[in-house]
Amino acid sequence: MTAAVAAVAVSAALCCALYTYAAGLLRRRGDTWARGRDAVCWLGGAVLVCSVAVPWGSYLPPFTAHTVAHLGAGMVAPLLVVLARPVTLALRTVPVAVRRGLVALTGTGAVRFLVLPPVAAVIDVGGLWLLYRAPLPAGVHHSPLLYAHLFTAGTLFAFSVLALDPLRHRPGLPLRAGTLLAAAAAHSVLARSLWAAGPPGTAYTAADLHLASQLMYYGGDLVEIAAAVVMAHQWYRAEGRALYRYRRRTPSPVTAPVTAPVPPPPPAP
Amino acid sequence: MPPSPPGAGGPLSGRSLVGGLLVGLGVAAFVDETVFHQLLHWHHFYDRSTSDVGLVSDGFFHAGSWLATVAGLFLYADLRRRGGLLRPAWWSGVCLGIGGFQLYDGTIQHKVLRLHQIRYGVDPAPYDWTWNVIAVLFLAAGAALWLRARRARAKAHAGGARP
Repeated sequence: MTAAVAAVAVSAALCCALYTYAAGLLRRRGDTWARGRDAVCWLGGAVLVCSVAVPWGSYLPPFTAHTVAHLGAGMVAPLLVVLARPVTLALRTVPVAVRRGLVALTGTGAVRFLVLPPVAAVIDVGGLWLLYRAPLPAGVHHSPLLYAHLFTAGTLFAFSVLALDPLRHRPGLPLRAGTLLAAAAAHSVLARSLWAAGPPGTAYTAADLHLASQLMYYGGDLVEIAAAVVMAHQWYRAEGRALYRYRRRTPSPVTAPVTAPVPPPPPAP
Repeated sequence: MPPSPPGAGGPLSGRSLVGGLLVGLGVAAFVDETVFHQLLHWHHFYDRSTSDVGLVSDGFFHAGSWLATVAGLFLYADLRRRGGLLRPAWWSGVCLGIGGFQLYDGTIQHKVLRLHQIRYGVDPAPYDWTWNVIAVLFLAAGAALWLRARRARAKAHAGGARP
Protein backbone atom coordinates (compact mmCIF):
# COMPACT_ATOMS: atom_id res chain seq x y z
CA MET A 1 0.00 0.00 0.00
CA THR A 2 1.55 3.24 -1.07
CA ALA A 3 1.47 6.45 0.94
CA ALA A 4 -1.17 7.97 -1.35
CA VAL A 5 -3.50 5.01 -0.87
CA ALA A 6 -2.99 5.18 2.89
CA ALA A 7 -3.72 8.91 2.82
CA VAL A 8 -7.02 8.31 0.95
CA ALA A 9 -8.02 5.54 3.39
CA VAL A 10 -7.16 7.55 6.53
CA SER A 11 -8.88 10.73 5.35
CA ALA A 12 -12.00 8.82 4.28
CA ALA A 13 -12.18 7.09 7.68
CA LEU A 14 -11.66 10.41 9.50
CA CYS A 15 -14.37 12.16 7.46
CA CYS A 16 -16.86 9.34 8.08
CA ALA A 17 -16.07 9.31 11.82
CA LEU A 18 -16.52 13.07 11.94
CA TYR A 19 -19.85 12.70 10.15
CA THR A 20 -21.10 10.13 12.65
CA TYR A 21 -19.92 12.30 15.55
CA ALA A 22 -21.78 15.31 14.15
CA ALA A 23 -24.93 13.28 13.52
CA GLY A 24 -24.70 12.03 17.12
CA LEU A 25 -24.49 15.63 18.36
CA LEU A 26 -27.68 16.45 16.45
CA ARG A 27 -29.53 13.44 17.81
CA ARG A 28 -28.47 14.17 21.41
CA ARG A 29 -29.79 17.69 20.88
CA GLY A 30 -33.15 16.13 20.03
CA ASP A 31 -33.05 16.75 16.27
CA THR A 32 -33.77 13.95 13.86
CA TRP A 33 -31.12 12.81 11.40
CA ALA A 34 -31.94 9.57 9.63
CA ARG A 35 -29.55 6.71 10.40
CA GLY A 36 -29.62 5.75 6.73
CA ARG A 37 -27.60 8.89 6.00
CA ASP A 38 -24.80 7.68 8.29
CA ALA A 39 -24.97 4.37 6.46
CA VAL A 40 -24.66 5.89 2.97
CA CYS A 41 -21.79 8.10 4.15
CA TRP A 42 -19.82 5.09 5.43
CA LEU A 43 -20.77 3.06 2.37
CA GLY A 44 -19.52 5.87 0.12
CA GLY A 45 -16.25 6.03 2.05
CA ALA A 46 -15.87 2.26 1.84
CA VAL A 47 -16.48 2.24 -1.93
CA LEU A 48 -13.89 5.00 -2.39
CA VAL A 49 -11.27 3.16 -0.33
CA CYS A 50 -12.00 -0.18 -2.04
CA SER A 51 -11.71 1.45 -5.47
CA VAL A 52 -8.26 2.81 -4.67
CA ALA A 53 -6.81 0.18 -2.34
CA VAL A 54 -7.94 -3.14 -3.83
CA PRO A 55 -5.37 -4.35 -6.38
CA TRP A 56 -7.92 -4.78 -9.18
CA GLY A 57 -5.04 -5.29 -11.60
CA SER A 58 -4.30 -8.71 -10.10
CA TYR A 59 -7.75 -10.01 -11.03
CA LEU A 60 -8.58 -8.07 -14.17
CA PRO A 61 -6.78 -6.85 -17.29
CA PRO A 62 -5.15 -3.44 -16.67
CA PHE A 63 -7.58 -1.06 -18.36
CA THR A 64 -10.63 -2.91 -17.01
CA ALA A 65 -9.06 -2.71 -13.55
CA HIS A 66 -8.72 1.04 -14.02
CA THR A 67 -12.36 1.26 -15.13
CA VAL A 68 -13.59 -0.54 -11.99
CA ALA A 69 -11.73 1.97 -9.83
CA HIS A 70 -12.95 4.85 -12.03
CA LEU A 71 -16.61 3.78 -11.64
CA GLY A 72 -16.28 3.24 -7.90
CA ALA A 73 -14.34 6.37 -7.03
CA GLY A 74 -15.79 8.69 -9.64
CA MET A 75 -19.47 7.71 -9.72
CA VAL A 76 -20.72 5.35 -7.00
CA ALA A 77 -18.86 6.85 -4.02
CA PRO A 78 -19.76 10.47 -4.90
CA LEU A 79 -23.44 9.64 -5.28
CA LEU A 80 -23.50 7.90 -1.88
CA VAL A 81 -21.61 10.71 -0.16
CA VAL A 82 -23.91 13.37 -1.62
CA LEU A 83 -26.97 11.37 -0.52
CA ALA A 84 -25.64 11.71 3.06
CA ARG A 85 -26.14 15.52 2.79
CA PRO A 86 -22.80 16.44 4.42
CA VAL A 87 -23.18 20.21 3.96
CA THR A 88 -26.57 20.26 5.67
CA LEU A 89 -25.10 18.34 8.59
CA ALA A 90 -22.12 20.69 8.80
CA LEU A 91 -24.34 23.79 8.73
CA ARG A 92 -26.45 22.39 11.56
CA THR A 93 -23.63 21.30 13.86
CA VAL A 94 -20.63 23.63 13.54
CA PRO A 95 -20.28 26.64 15.90
CA VAL A 96 -22.00 29.82 14.80
CA ALA A 97 -18.80 31.60 13.75
CA VAL A 98 -17.77 28.71 11.50
CA ARG A 99 -21.29 28.47 10.13
CA ARG A 100 -21.21 32.15 9.17
CA GLY A 101 -17.93 31.53 7.39
CA LEU A 102 -19.39 28.51 5.61
CA VAL A 103 -22.48 30.41 4.51
CA ALA A 104 -20.33 33.30 3.31
CA LEU A 105 -18.20 30.82 1.39
CA THR A 106 -21.21 29.32 -0.38
CA GLY A 107 -22.22 32.85 -1.39
CA THR A 108 -18.94 33.71 -3.11
CA GLY A 109 -18.91 33.99 -6.87
CA ALA A 110 -16.42 31.17 -7.36
CA VAL A 111 -18.48 28.62 -5.42
CA ARG A 112 -21.71 29.74 -7.04
CA PHE A 113 -20.09 29.34 -10.44
CA LEU A 114 -18.67 25.90 -9.66
CA VAL A 115 -21.98 24.49 -8.45
CA LEU A 116 -23.90 25.58 -11.55
CA PRO A 117 -24.93 22.20 -13.02
CA PRO A 118 -23.51 22.75 -16.54
CA VAL A 119 -20.18 23.98 -15.11
CA ALA A 120 -19.90 21.02 -12.75
CA ALA A 121 -20.78 18.67 -15.61
CA VAL A 122 -18.10 20.16 -17.86
CA ILE A 123 -15.52 19.82 -15.09
CA ASP A 124 -16.50 16.22 -14.38
CA VAL A 125 -17.14 14.76 -17.83
CA GLY A 126 -14.79 17.17 -19.62
CA GLY A 127 -12.01 16.03 -17.29
CA LEU A 128 -12.83 12.46 -18.25
CA TRP A 129 -12.57 13.26 -21.95
CA LEU A 130 -9.16 14.87 -21.30
CA LEU A 131 -8.09 11.83 -19.32
CA TYR A 132 -8.94 9.40 -22.12
CA ARG A 133 -8.42 11.50 -25.21
CA ALA A 134 -5.47 13.82 -24.44
CA PRO A 135 -1.90 12.51 -24.50
CA LEU A 136 -1.04 12.13 -20.82
CA PRO A 137 2.08 10.63 -19.19
CA ALA A 138 2.06 6.85 -18.86
CA GLY A 139 0.89 5.46 -15.54
CA VAL A 140 -1.52 8.33 -14.87
CA HIS A 141 -4.45 5.94 -15.27
CA HIS A 142 -3.39 3.99 -12.20
CA SER A 143 -2.40 6.81 -9.86
CA PRO A 144 -4.38 7.12 -6.58
CA LEU A 145 -4.25 10.89 -7.03
CA LEU A 146 -6.22 10.47 -10.24
CA TYR A 147 -8.95 8.62 -8.33
CA ALA A 148 -8.96 11.37 -5.70
CA HIS A 149 -9.55 13.83 -8.54
CA LEU A 150 -12.31 11.66 -10.05
CA PHE A 151 -13.99 11.46 -6.64
CA THR A 152 -13.83 15.22 -6.12
CA ALA A 153 -15.16 16.02 -9.57
CA GLY A 154 -17.88 13.37 -9.28
CA THR A 155 -18.94 14.73 -5.90
CA LEU A 156 -19.14 18.26 -7.27
CA PHE A 157 -21.31 17.00 -10.12
CA ALA A 158 -23.66 14.94 -7.94
CA PHE A 159 -23.87 17.79 -5.41
CA SER A 160 -24.88 20.35 -8.03
CA VAL A 161 -27.19 18.14 -10.09
CA LEU A 162 -29.08 16.55 -7.20
CA ALA A 163 -29.09 19.76 -5.10
CA LEU A 164 -29.94 17.85 -1.92
CA ASP A 165 -27.94 20.23 0.26
CA PRO A 166 -29.12 23.82 0.61
CA LEU A 167 -27.78 25.93 -2.23
CA ARG A 168 -28.30 29.60 -2.75
CA HIS A 169 -30.37 29.97 -5.95
CA ARG A 170 -31.01 26.25 -6.31
CA PRO A 171 -31.32 25.64 -10.05
CA GLY A 172 -34.65 24.34 -11.31
CA LEU A 173 -35.43 20.75 -12.18
CA PRO A 174 -35.36 21.21 -16.00
CA LEU A 175 -31.78 22.53 -15.91
CA ARG A 176 -30.62 19.81 -13.50
CA ALA A 177 -32.33 17.01 -15.44
CA GLY A 178 -31.08 18.36 -18.76
CA THR A 179 -27.54 18.48 -17.40
CA LEU A 180 -27.79 14.91 -16.16
CA LEU A 181 -29.01 13.83 -19.59
CA ALA A 182 -26.19 15.63 -21.41
CA ALA A 183 -23.54 14.33 -19.01
CA ALA A 184 -24.89 10.78 -19.26
CA ALA A 185 -24.88 10.99 -23.06
CA ALA A 186 -21.30 12.31 -23.12
CA HIS A 187 -20.25 9.53 -20.74
CA SER A 188 -21.83 6.83 -22.90
CA VAL A 189 -20.32 8.24 -26.12
CA LEU A 190 -16.86 8.28 -24.52
CA ALA A 191 -17.35 4.74 -23.19
CA ARG A 192 -18.44 3.46 -26.58
CA SER A 193 -15.54 5.16 -28.36
CA LEU A 194 -13.06 3.44 -26.01
CA TRP A 195 -14.20 0.14 -27.52
CA ALA A 196 -12.42 1.04 -30.74
CA ALA A 197 -9.49 3.15 -29.52
CA GLY A 198 -7.85 3.30 -26.10
CA PRO A 199 -6.32 6.47 -24.62
CA PRO A 200 -3.51 7.83 -26.81
CA GLY A 201 -0.05 6.60 -25.90
CA THR A 202 -1.34 3.40 -24.30
CA ALA A 203 -1.24 -0.12 -25.70
CA TYR A 204 -4.04 -2.04 -24.00
CA THR A 205 -5.19 -5.21 -25.72
CA ALA A 206 -8.42 -5.13 -27.73
CA ALA A 207 -10.11 -7.62 -25.36
CA ASP A 208 -9.22 -5.41 -22.38
CA LEU A 209 -10.58 -2.30 -24.11
CA HIS A 210 -13.81 -4.06 -25.10
CA LEU A 211 -14.47 -5.24 -21.55
CA ALA A 212 -13.57 -1.86 -20.04
CA SER A 213 -15.70 0.02 -22.55
CA GLN A 214 -18.81 -2.05 -21.85
CA LEU A 215 -18.22 -1.87 -18.09
CA MET A 216 -18.01 1.92 -18.26
CA TYR A 217 -21.08 2.08 -20.55
CA TYR A 218 -23.42 -0.12 -18.52
CA GLY A 219 -21.94 0.74 -15.11
CA GLY A 220 -22.43 4.41 -15.86
CA ASP A 221 -26.06 3.66 -16.76
CA LEU A 222 -26.73 2.16 -13.34
CA VAL A 223 -25.38 5.18 -11.48
CA GLU A 224 -27.19 7.60 -13.79
CA ILE A 225 -30.47 5.74 -13.26
CA ALA A 226 -29.94 5.96 -9.50
CA ALA A 227 -29.35 9.72 -9.80
CA ALA A 228 -32.48 10.06 -11.94
CA VAL A 229 -34.53 8.17 -9.34
CA VAL A 230 -33.32 10.55 -6.63
CA MET A 231 -34.22 13.53 -8.79
CA ALA A 232 -37.64 12.18 -9.78
CA HIS A 233 -38.39 11.38 -6.16
CA GLN A 234 -37.63 15.01 -5.21
CA TRP A 235 -40.15 16.14 -7.83
CA TYR A 236 -42.71 13.56 -6.67
CA ARG A 237 -42.46 14.73 -3.06
CA ALA A 238 -42.68 18.40 -4.03
CA GLU A 239 -45.78 17.69 -6.14
CA GLY A 240 -47.26 15.72 -3.25
CA ARG A 241 -46.78 18.61 -0.86
CA ALA A 242 -48.35 21.04 -3.36
CA LEU A 243 -51.28 18.67 -3.85
CA TYR A 244 -51.74 18.32 -0.09
CA ARG A 245 -51.80 22.09 0.39
CA TYR A 246 -54.26 22.50 -2.49
CA ARG A 247 -56.61 19.83 -1.15
CA ARG A 248 -56.53 21.33 2.32
CA ARG A 249 -57.44 24.73 0.90
CA THR A 250 -60.15 23.59 -1.52
CA PRO A 251 -61.66 20.17 -0.83
CA SER A 252 -62.13 18.48 -4.19
CA PRO A 253 -65.67 17.55 -5.25
CA VAL A 254 -64.66 13.89 -5.22
CA THR A 255 -63.53 13.74 -1.62
CA ALA A 256 -65.94 16.33 -0.21
CA PRO A 257 -68.60 14.97 2.15
CA VAL A 258 -72.00 14.49 0.62
CA THR A 259 -74.22 17.35 1.71
CA ALA A 260 -77.46 16.14 0.13
CA PRO A 261 -80.15 15.33 2.69
CA VAL A 262 -80.14 11.72 3.76
CA PRO A 263 -83.50 10.04 3.01
CA PRO A 264 -85.40 9.14 6.17
CA PRO A 265 -85.32 5.47 7.16
CA PRO A 266 -88.33 3.44 6.06
CA PRO A 267 -91.02 3.35 8.73
CA ALA A 268 -90.99 0.26 10.88
CA PRO A 269 -93.87 -2.10 10.11
CA MET B 1 -40.51 24.14 -10.43
CA PRO B 2 -43.99 25.53 -9.78
CA PRO B 3 -46.52 22.92 -8.71
CA SER B 4 -48.71 21.80 -11.54
CA PRO B 5 -52.51 21.93 -11.56
CA PRO B 6 -53.84 19.34 -9.18
CA GLY B 7 -56.22 17.72 -11.62
CA ALA B 8 -59.07 17.40 -9.19
CA GLY B 9 -61.48 18.34 -11.98
CA GLY B 10 -60.99 15.22 -14.11
CA PRO B 11 -58.50 13.23 -16.14
CA LEU B 12 -55.35 14.95 -17.40
CA SER B 13 -55.11 13.64 -20.95
CA GLY B 14 -52.01 15.61 -21.99
CA ARG B 15 -50.03 14.58 -18.97
CA SER B 16 -51.17 10.95 -19.33
CA LEU B 17 -50.00 11.00 -22.94
CA VAL B 18 -46.58 12.41 -21.99
CA GLY B 19 -46.20 9.89 -19.17
CA GLY B 20 -46.99 7.03 -21.54
CA LEU B 21 -44.68 8.43 -24.20
CA LEU B 22 -41.74 8.46 -21.78
CA VAL B 23 -42.44 4.88 -20.66
CA GLY B 24 -42.86 3.78 -24.29
CA LEU B 25 -39.46 5.23 -25.25
CA GLY B 26 -37.91 3.39 -22.33
CA VAL B 27 -39.61 0.09 -23.18
CA ALA B 28 -38.50 0.26 -26.83
CA ALA B 29 -34.91 1.06 -25.86
CA PHE B 30 -34.91 -1.68 -23.23
CA VAL B 31 -36.17 -4.31 -25.69
CA ASP B 32 -33.62 -3.15 -28.25
CA GLU B 33 -30.83 -3.41 -25.69
CA THR B 34 -31.74 -6.75 -24.09
CA VAL B 35 -33.19 -8.70 -27.03
CA PHE B 36 -31.13 -7.51 -29.99
CA HIS B 37 -27.84 -6.59 -28.31
CA GLN B 38 -27.57 -9.02 -25.40
CA LEU B 39 -29.69 -12.09 -26.23
CA LEU B 40 -29.59 -12.43 -30.03
CA HIS B 41 -26.25 -10.59 -30.48
CA TRP B 42 -27.64 -9.28 -33.79
CA HIS B 43 -26.71 -5.68 -33.02
CA HIS B 44 -23.11 -4.80 -32.37
CA PHE B 45 -21.85 -2.62 -29.53
CA TYR B 46 -19.60 -0.79 -31.95
CA ASP B 47 -19.63 -0.60 -35.74
CA ARG B 48 -16.59 0.99 -37.37
CA SER B 49 -18.70 2.57 -40.11
CA THR B 50 -20.65 4.64 -37.56
CA SER B 51 -20.39 8.39 -38.06
CA ASP B 52 -19.59 10.69 -35.12
CA VAL B 53 -23.11 12.12 -35.32
CA GLY B 54 -24.38 8.56 -35.03
CA LEU B 55 -22.41 8.00 -31.83
CA VAL B 56 -23.71 11.21 -30.29
CA SER B 57 -27.28 10.49 -31.37
CA ASP B 58 -27.04 7.04 -29.85
CA GLY B 59 -25.52 8.46 -26.66
CA PHE B 60 -28.46 10.82 -26.18
CA PHE B 61 -31.01 8.15 -27.00
CA HIS B 62 -29.36 5.61 -24.76
CA ALA B 63 -29.08 7.94 -21.76
CA GLY B 64 -32.40 9.60 -22.53
CA SER B 65 -34.34 6.36 -22.65
CA TRP B 66 -33.28 5.39 -19.13
CA LEU B 67 -34.06 8.83 -17.77
CA ALA B 68 -37.38 8.81 -19.67
CA THR B 69 -38.33 5.50 -18.06
CA VAL B 70 -37.66 6.85 -14.58
CA ALA B 71 -39.52 10.09 -15.31
CA GLY B 72 -42.43 8.22 -16.93
CA LEU B 73 -42.88 5.89 -13.96
CA PHE B 74 -42.86 8.73 -11.44
CA LEU B 75 -45.28 10.66 -13.65
CA TYR B 76 -47.56 7.61 -13.68
CA ALA B 77 -47.46 7.41 -9.88
CA ASP B 78 -48.27 11.10 -9.66
CA LEU B 79 -51.20 10.76 -12.09
CA ARG B 80 -52.62 7.91 -10.05
CA ARG B 81 -52.21 9.89 -6.85
CA ARG B 82 -54.09 12.91 -8.15
CA GLY B 83 -56.73 10.83 -9.94
CA GLY B 84 -55.78 12.28 -13.33
CA LEU B 85 -54.80 9.13 -15.21
CA LEU B 86 -56.65 8.70 -18.50
CA ARG B 87 -55.79 5.13 -19.49
CA PRO B 88 -56.37 5.34 -23.28
CA ALA B 89 -54.21 8.47 -23.41
CA TRP B 90 -51.47 6.76 -21.42
CA TRP B 91 -51.51 3.67 -23.65
CA SER B 92 -51.60 5.90 -26.71
CA GLY B 93 -48.42 7.52 -25.41
CA VAL B 94 -46.81 4.12 -24.85
CA CYS B 95 -47.55 3.03 -28.44
CA LEU B 96 -46.40 6.34 -29.91
CA GLY B 97 -43.22 6.17 -27.83
CA ILE B 98 -42.41 2.63 -28.94
CA GLY B 99 -43.28 3.32 -32.58
CA GLY B 100 -41.47 6.65 -32.68
CA PHE B 101 -38.31 5.23 -31.15
CA GLN B 102 -38.31 2.23 -33.43
CA LEU B 103 -38.94 4.27 -36.57
CA TYR B 104 -36.15 6.71 -35.64
CA ASP B 105 -33.84 3.81 -34.83
CA GLY B 106 -34.75 1.93 -38.01
CA THR B 107 -34.50 4.86 -40.43
CA ILE B 108 -32.19 7.58 -39.09
CA GLN B 109 -29.90 5.60 -36.79
CA HIS B 110 -29.54 2.38 -38.80
CA LYS B 111 -29.67 3.78 -42.33
CA VAL B 112 -28.66 7.45 -42.35
CA LEU B 113 -26.16 7.51 -39.48
CA ARG B 114 -25.16 3.86 -40.02
CA LEU B 115 -24.94 3.16 -36.29
CA HIS B 116 -25.21 -0.56 -36.87
CA GLN B 117 -27.38 -2.88 -38.94
CA ILE B 118 -30.21 -4.96 -37.54
CA ARG B 119 -28.43 -8.17 -38.41
CA TYR B 120 -25.03 -8.87 -39.94
CA GLY B 121 -24.08 -11.45 -42.54
CA VAL B 122 -27.51 -11.47 -44.19
CA ASP B 123 -29.35 -9.17 -46.57
CA PRO B 124 -30.69 -6.51 -44.16
CA ALA B 125 -33.57 -5.36 -46.41
CA PRO B 126 -36.30 -7.76 -45.11
CA TYR B 127 -35.25 -7.02 -41.54
CA ASP B 128 -35.38 -3.28 -42.18
CA TRP B 129 -38.85 -3.56 -43.71
CA THR B 130 -40.19 -5.68 -40.85
CA TRP B 131 -38.63 -3.33 -38.30
CA ASN B 132 -40.10 -0.18 -39.81
CA VAL B 133 -43.51 -1.64 -40.63
CA ILE B 134 -43.85 -2.73 -37.00
CA ALA B 135 -42.88 0.81 -35.99
CA VAL B 136 -45.59 2.29 -38.23
CA LEU B 137 -48.16 -0.16 -36.84
CA PHE B 138 -47.32 0.99 -33.31
CA LEU B 139 -47.70 4.62 -34.39
CA ALA B 140 -51.09 3.85 -35.96
CA ALA B 141 -52.22 2.07 -32.78
CA GLY B 142 -51.09 5.09 -30.78
CA ALA B 143 -53.06 7.45 -33.00
CA ALA B 144 -56.20 5.27 -32.74
CA LEU B 145 -55.88 5.15 -28.96
CA TRP B 146 -55.47 8.92 -28.86
CA LEU B 147 -58.80 9.35 -30.70
CA ARG B 148 -60.37 7.03 -28.15
CA ALA B 149 -58.76 9.02 -25.33
CA ARG B 150 -60.30 12.22 -26.68
CA ARG B 151 -63.75 10.60 -26.74
CA ALA B 152 -63.19 9.30 -23.18
CA ARG B 153 -62.15 12.74 -22.02
CA ALA B 154 -65.17 14.40 -23.64
CA LYS B 155 -67.39 11.80 -21.94
CA ALA B 156 -65.71 12.38 -18.57
CA HIS B 157 -66.20 16.13 -18.86
CA ALA B 158 -69.82 15.69 -19.92
CA GLY B 159 -70.31 13.30 -17.00
CA GLY B 160 -68.72 15.80 -14.62
CA ALA B 161 -71.00 18.58 -15.81
CA ARG B 162 -74.16 16.57 -15.27
CA PRO B 163 -75.98 17.62 -12.07
